[in-house]
Amino acid sequence: MLKTLDLPALRQLLCAIAAEFELRVPVQPAPGMRLLAPWPVAEIALFGPPLQPKPTAAFFPQTQTLLTLGADASVELPSPPVRPLALFGLARADLQGIAFLDRFFSAPPADDVYQRLRRDALLIGLSGNCGTERKFLPLAGGHCDFELIAQGTGWWGRAHTPRGAHWLRELPAAEGADLTWLNEKSAQLIDEPQQLLARAAKLLVQERVPEEFWREIAARCILCCGCNQVCPTCNCFCVEDQLRGTNVERRRVWDSCQLDAFMREASGHNPLGTEALRTRRRIFHKLVADPQRWGEYGCVACGRCDAACPTGIGIFALCEQLVARYS
Amino acid sequence: MTINATLTTCPYCGTGCNFYLLADNGQLTGVAPAADHPVSRGQLCVKGWNAHAFVDHPARLTQPLIRRGGEFQPAAWDDALDLVHSRLSRLAAQHGPDSLMFFSSAKVSNEENYLLMKLARAGYGTNNIDHCARLCHASTVTGLAETLGSGAMTNSLSCFDVTELILVIGSNTTEQHPLIGSRILQAVERGARLIVADGRRIRLAQHADLHLRGTNGSDVALLCGMARVILDEGLEDRAFIESRCENFDAFRTSLAAFDLQRVAALTGLGEEEIRAAARLYAGAERAMIVYAMGITQHSHGVDNVRAVSNLALLTGNLGRPGTGINPLRGQNNVQGACDMGALPNVYTGYQKVEDSLIRRKFSAAWGTRLPEIPGMMATHAIEAAAQGKIKGMLILGENPMLSEANQGLVKRALEKLEFLAVIDIFPTETAQLATLVLPAACYAERDGSYTSTERRVQRGRQAVAPPGEARTDWQILCALLQRCGLAADYADPAAIMDEIATLTPSYGGISYARLEGDSVQWPCPDAGHPGTPILHRAQCTRGKGRFSPLSYRPSVELPDASYPLLLNTGRSYFHWHTGSMTRRSHLLEREEHEVQLEIHPEDALALKINPRQMVQVRSRRGCISARALLTERVPRGQVFLPFHFAEGAANALTNNVLDPEAGIPEFKVCAVRVTPC
Repeated sequence: MLKTLDLPALRQLLCAIAAEFELRVPVQPAPGMRLLAPWPVAEIALFGPPLQPKPTAAFFPQTQTLLTLGADASVELPSPPVRPLALFGLARADLQGIAFLDRFFSAPPADDVYQRLRRDALLIGLSGNCGTERKFLPLAGGHCDFELIAQGTGWWGRAHTPRGAHWLRELPAAEGADLTWLNEKSAQLIDEPQQLLARAAKLLVQERVPEEFWREIAARCILCCGCNQVCPTCNCFCVEDQLRGTNVERRRVWDSCQLDAFMREASGHNPLGTEALRTRRRIFHKLVADPQRWGEYGCVACGRCDAACPTGIGIFALCEQLVARYS
Repeated sequence: MTINATLTTCPYCGTGCNFYLLADNGQLTGVAPAADHPVSRGQLCVKGWNAHAFVDHPARLTQPLIRRGGEFQPAAWDDALDLVHSRLSRLAAQHGPDSLMFFSSAKVSNEENYLLMKLARAGYGTNNIDHCARLCHASTVTGLAETLGSGAMTNSLSCFDVTELILVIGSNTTEQHPLIGSRILQAVERGARLIVADGRRIRLAQHADLHLRGTNGSDVALLCGMARVILDEGLEDRAFIESRCENFDAFRTSLAAFDLQRVAALTGLGEEEIRAAARLYAGAERAMIVYAMGITQHSHGVDNVRAVSNLALLTGNLGRPGTGINPLRGQNNVQGACDMGALPNVYTGYQKVEDSLIRRKFSAAWGTRLPEIPGMMATHAIEAAAQGKIKGMLILGENPMLSEANQGLVKRALEKLEFLAVIDIFPTETAQLATLVLPAACYAERDGSYTSTERRVQRGRQAVAPPGEARTDWQILCALLQRCGLAADYADPAAIMDEIATLTPSYGGISYARLEGDSVQWPCPDAGHPGTPILHRAQCTRGKGRFSPLSYRPSVELPDASYPLLLNTGRSYFHWHTGSMTRRSHLLEREEHEVQLEIHPEDALALKINPRQMVQVRSRRGCISARALLTERVPRGQVFLPFHFAEGAANALTNNVLDPEAGIPEFKVCAVRVTPC
């Protein structure tokens, strides 16, 4: 059943959640920039551009301590959060990204550092008229405990888990609310990028994309690694050990498969020794290998890599070129 | 758990990107580019994305260190500061103030550069202050000040969006100013023409209409040859020359020596290539010239800059959107360090120390007499220290042991000093030679302002606390100013900027209140002024643009039978200068963890060098080991080394021969011999 909220009710709900969770909500420190900040905040950014950094960073940050080794051979793990996290304001693509990482990091061997932050975390979606300038964003439809659907001056609350229903239980029902049209609108929005990815994936599987294409793309890549940095499904990391006094602190750091050393062997040999090969591998990984392994693309169509790429070769731009040339 | 995001300016190159530093419980966890920023536009390069990584590295300096009995011992701040002051004062009293030298830093803020400049001049009575602009754009500051009246980049980065043609000469832009390089690539995508003049096959060359792979050091010949073609074919902008320029006849006469046959012989290029480049450049309605160290780091660096300036004046490519002479500044605040007068001959805003009216203004503001004679350049100071003429040095945030040419000379010079104080964030190779080391806050731990390559003044903001007892540079410098008996009770960097604004016409309208909104490009003479995206609009800063007659001077040390290869040096994409920050950033160091010598496969074959083999690279000044990287990126006869690596220091080999006017070393050309290990 759909519930209804206005702004005071939303603040009240968030206050209640903040009593039990480490709540983070979107804020807009500058035009064009929207990020998750710890509650309480002066003003919640209830609509705007995609969150930066990607919300998956709440559980898998760019730099993260894994453990500390003492001189006495002791192993100290980072202390678990006092209270679980609650993230509010997640778009459908953000939630899909988190679901992707959940699956990846819970596949054996499960990643306990990720689980420590992710376990018991409350995910709250935000959909409807909440994009840039209140542009409509597709309904989440799941992958969260509950979502708030922005419409008119308020929100409809829709639970997706028993925990979500618990948090919405005291809110009044949204009389006469009907999601049929919003679901149709969402399906259209979701379908368009999916179609593009599907067409590109098909060409890749059929091996209809020549090396020349990857060389051209690679020539425009300046190796900023931004595509990896902002991608909600990218999960590669490298490990760094730092000697601090007599202790060794082990951290992980987001890696990038666009880098030469990502696959370079100690001998210097590199099976992915050119930028063209690495670019091709990254796109194959997301559009061919991930569907084979997980049943879905490693692209949640959030648009972040297209925005972060200084030379205009994010995954949409790349797929558009690929489809236009080789279909 | 507390999370915060602090908007600040990137500490690496001069592009001026902004990003948010993300912190969790007082520890940096990552970076997010500023989406609305006019330069970064939600994008960063790999160094920007990793700019948080070195900040809490365990090697950070955390307490003052004084050398006692050959070993560094921890010391109390007051004792350390007292020692700095007493030793510098004593040397000044014994040998005169000009026995001291102050190295400022293009990595610290405008305010900190201003304070060190004030400390040297007002505190210790010497104009001997300089910084690493001496090693990068000294030629530009000298050359463009002469021809246009201002040594700064004439146009703005937004001009790449409207230009018709870009001539990139001596700039590996996608690697050294990646977000500017990406604008060039995007300009090409929308149809702009691109000429790349670079001996190396850099990434931009793959996208160029013309790639001129001339011999290193032959730029004057190339640029004068192009000018000659433009004039011979009547492609010059006659109206611009007549209304906006002077000294044209002398310039035209000087071009008699640059017939294409000679230019082709000097540059190693084909006559048709040079002619085509001249026609392309002159044929564009709006053309930008972009240059960097390939132009400036020569014994004739100032002549190179004059030649660039001539070309723009000849075609009227100045003072309009999409045109201009665009020297790309290397460090995030090298423009600001120059603006702040961390130079031996000028106060802030390039106001000359020799000008008695200017001197009187600063003297009245600071309440003390000021020295009249311009001071010593950094490169000359190294030579003077080696000769025992400079006795004491204070080096703030620079690492000349790796950055100056001829490391052997630098080491002798620093070891000969009676007193060397170093203020830094890491125990650099230079700090290892110091009498005393003071631990400083890094960019993420202090407030300040920085001025980017396009003269954009913008804020840096503190995101986390400095480690241990480390202090901000401005606090350290205030403590020294006070020991010199000068007022230095600034509440914060904003108050320092207020003082700068009162003394500096080009920064007159700049205040922290204003920088809280949009950044602003100088000149900005008053609070109501909108800033100046494009210089020299109606007329040049000096009035008329001045043509410079030039003659060709070859590089000083060219390959010969004993040292048959030409060594070119520079930066790689993944590291920054002497590596003190990037080599402590895991992903960057993982990507490139050793010094590699780029050598052409045919040269390698002739020398029996296999791919990835260790080789010795020897010049008349030193010898290092490096791993051979066989690549056609370099032309035959040329090898390339990055200068980031202490264990294979390119500057152990480089030639410290200097441009006679700018004092810049010839980093781009010396002769070496390469042998397999």
